[in-house]
Amino acid sequence: MPIPSSKYRVLVSTIAVLVFLGIWEIAPRAGMVDPTFTSQPSRVFAASLVIVPSGDFLHDVSVSLSEFAIGFALAVGFGVPLGLLLGRFPVLRYLLDPPIMAIYATPHLALLPIFIVWLGIGMQSKIAVAFVGGVIPILVNSMAGVRGVERSWVTAARSFCAREWDVFVKVILPASLPGVVMGIRLGVSRAVLGVVVAEMYQSQAGVGNKIMLYGSEFRTDYLLFNVLLVSVFGFTATWAVRALEEKLWTAGK
Amino acid sequence: MLLGIVSFAAILLVWESVVRLGWANPFFISQPSAIADSLSRAARSGELWNNLEVSLREFAIGYGASVVVGILAGALAGRFRIVEYVVDPFLWFLYSAPLIAFYPIFVLWFGLGVPTVIAITFLLSVTQIAANTLRGIQSVNPGLLRAARSFGASERDLLWKVVLPASVPMVIAGLRLGIGRALMGVVVGELFGATAGLGFSIAYYGALLKTTDMIASVVVIVVLGVLCTQALSAVEARFDSWRTGPG
Amino acid sequence: METRIVLEPAMLQNQGSAAASHIRVEGLTVAYQKPKAAGTLIAVSSANLDIARGTFVTIVGPSGCGKSSLLLAIAGLVQPAGGRVLVNGQPVSGPGRDRAVVFQDFALMPWRTVLDNVRFGLELQRWSGEDLTARARRYVELVGLKGFEHYHPHQLSGGMQQRVGIARALAVDPEILLLDEPFGSLDAQTRDEMGSELLAIWEQNKKTALFVTHGIDEAIFLADQIVVMARNPGRISEIITVDLPRPRTIETMDSELFIEYRRHIRACLMGKVEQSCTQERRF
Repeated sequence: MPIPSSKYRVLVSTIAVLVFLGIWEIAPRAGMVDPTFTSQPSRVFAASLVIVPSGDFLHDVSVSLSEFAIGFALAVGFGVPLGLLLGRFPVLRYLLDPPIMAIYATPHLALLPIFIVWLGIGMQSKIAVAFVGGVIPILVNSMAGVRGVERSWVTAARSFCAREWDVFVKVILPASLPGVVMGIRLGVSRAVLGVVVAEMYQSQAGVGNKIMLYGSEFRTDYLLFNVLLVSVFGFTATWAVRALEEKLWTAGK
Repeated sequence: MLLGIVSFAAILLVWESVVRLGWANPFFISQPSAIADSLSRAARSGELWNNLEVSLREFAIGYGASVVVGILAGALAGRFRIVEYVVDPFLWFLYSAPLIAFYPIFVLWFGLGVPTVIAITFLLSVTQIAANTLRGIQSVNPGLLRAARSFGASERDLLWKVVLPASVPMVIAGLRLGIGRALMGVVVGELFGATAGLGFSIAYYGALLKTTDMIASVVVIVVLGVLCTQALSAVEARFDSWRTGPG
Repeated sequence: METRIVLEPAMLQNQGSAAASHIRVEGLTVAYQKPKAAGTLIAVSSANLDIARGTFVTIVGPSGCGKSSLLLAIAGLVQPAGGRVLVNGQPVSGPGRDRAVVFQDFALMPWRTVLDNVRFGLELQRWSGEDLTARARRYVELVGLKGFEHYHPHQLSGGMQQRVGIARALAVDPEILLLDEPFGSLDAQTRDEMGSELLAIWEQNKKTALFVTHGIDEAIFLADQIVVMARNPGRISEIITVDLPRPRTIETMDSELFIEYRRHIRACLMGKVEQSCTQERRF
């Protein structure tokens, strides 16, 4: 049985993407669709040459990035320890599990207008949305990571007279790492989404702000450049954490 | 279950008393009793039912379409390698890109309002459902395929008697995750531009700084999310017992 | 103690007509592609074997000696890289109605009940003119699972699951039963019980059976003939005819002859009987 090589796979995927770009470029030229609605790859590229060197762009990117960075760092700093704690102490977990699950099942972006009322339209409300988006999956998966630790490993550690602290640091922590990292991966994309949507909703600056602005001005090429920028960032960040995750799994197995 | 009720009751109690004791400003966090009031008022005036109906209809159309398209696309990609390789880059892009950023483009295409909300809802959930269907089909235990072949199964038999039933649990997990994303699509779509719906009412009362009415709508959404997810989890549990799991 | 081992040379070179043997394996080589294009792995290297109709043959050998590959090639589930397999004198090109396989991992459809799992093979072979469910029910009863018809596989123990696997294979009424380490994942006691029951069922109509195992006792207990395999590359090193009287019981395992066979096979597996390679032995 011939197993298609990964080369074949890359080839087919690349051709598919190229065909897509080709149609996207040619269809408006041939007058089949209105370029105002779809733009074209060449126009998006041209837009990038205008946007990137401008000072505005740097400002927007730095605003969005810092909102993401702060919100996400808070989510990790808060979600991981709390998740580990809840995983370790069942009483706490039973108490907090229902509300956490309720929030998990809720579209967290519904809270957006509330954050705006609470924190204003500046960076704080975006940081809050990024935090809420990121913290829940991180917390839930860290908790699941701890609960997934085999009892026999803990028993084995105890048989060597390990103290509670040793058990936590030497067994629970490393064993629950894959769960934690998986939470971080899910958290990344939700935090990115949170920042962008919050900026799109009400803001003074940021990439999401520009997406909304260009949308209302029918500048499809400028709009798409920003959308692609955000997508590439989301994709890259998720991919990076996934790479880390796979490394951890292979190390663990 | 009991602990859940206790836990929610405790939260409500603390919330109510913190406001009553004057430790927190009700303008910001409102209070449970006021929210209950607001809900019952909205229920009596019909506003609640109207919003619920609009949101649920958008949800049903967008999610329904994504179930059909997602399962079909995922099944085709799982069945034919070439389809998988063609679809893969797009699926991955849509899966990890913040899709709501495409919202202004949808507005350009479909105009403000219901069609755009449905499009966002569809796009958000379809990737999840397609990805899970694909993974479900790919992770069918090769031992089962071999057993079926040993009894002379044709390609058709393999598809209908082994591959499809074996991937049901993964598909249902995709449907469950898709519900969450579709709900997100409805709410966010309505936040940005709508004339009715739960998301719209949150945005509307938010602009008026009416915290109580805003939180009341959020509560309805939370309840909706929990109900939908619970319902699908229950369906999932029925299949879970024979779930073979990925790999 | 007198040695009962007598070498009877040239039995394997017996070139009797292909039609005389039910299953005939000629110069069979099975190869697998190693992952990441690292060349091929020779699982079975030019094996020759003749199995007469109605015999119970076991294949024993260390892991990685290609015993399962040999069986799967006969089943038509693995395409040989060289040589061929003949059943009733006809070359095998794929799975056929004349053969049914029992798998090591049971390979039951988890979403089907016991009864529907037994029906599975009948459905795939497009059986008609008979109520499939009634037929399936008879075979469920044959393997002692009456009352469990509507259970799902995950509700059964490993031993019971494999009974379903055996019923599924028997239900399609094959001429040849191919069993790939069917009791490999069961505990020792269940394994002994299952072996005795399998023999009892087999005694009823004496279908040709090929049974792969790594258990020496199991191999002797069941077999008319034992095929001993060695690895690197996977090959048949010896074929032993077992002259233990049937019907056999657990006590058979305590007989002096049985112990003699066991001693010989163990030595053979440890590579201490070099000169006997590809020779047929008789006790």
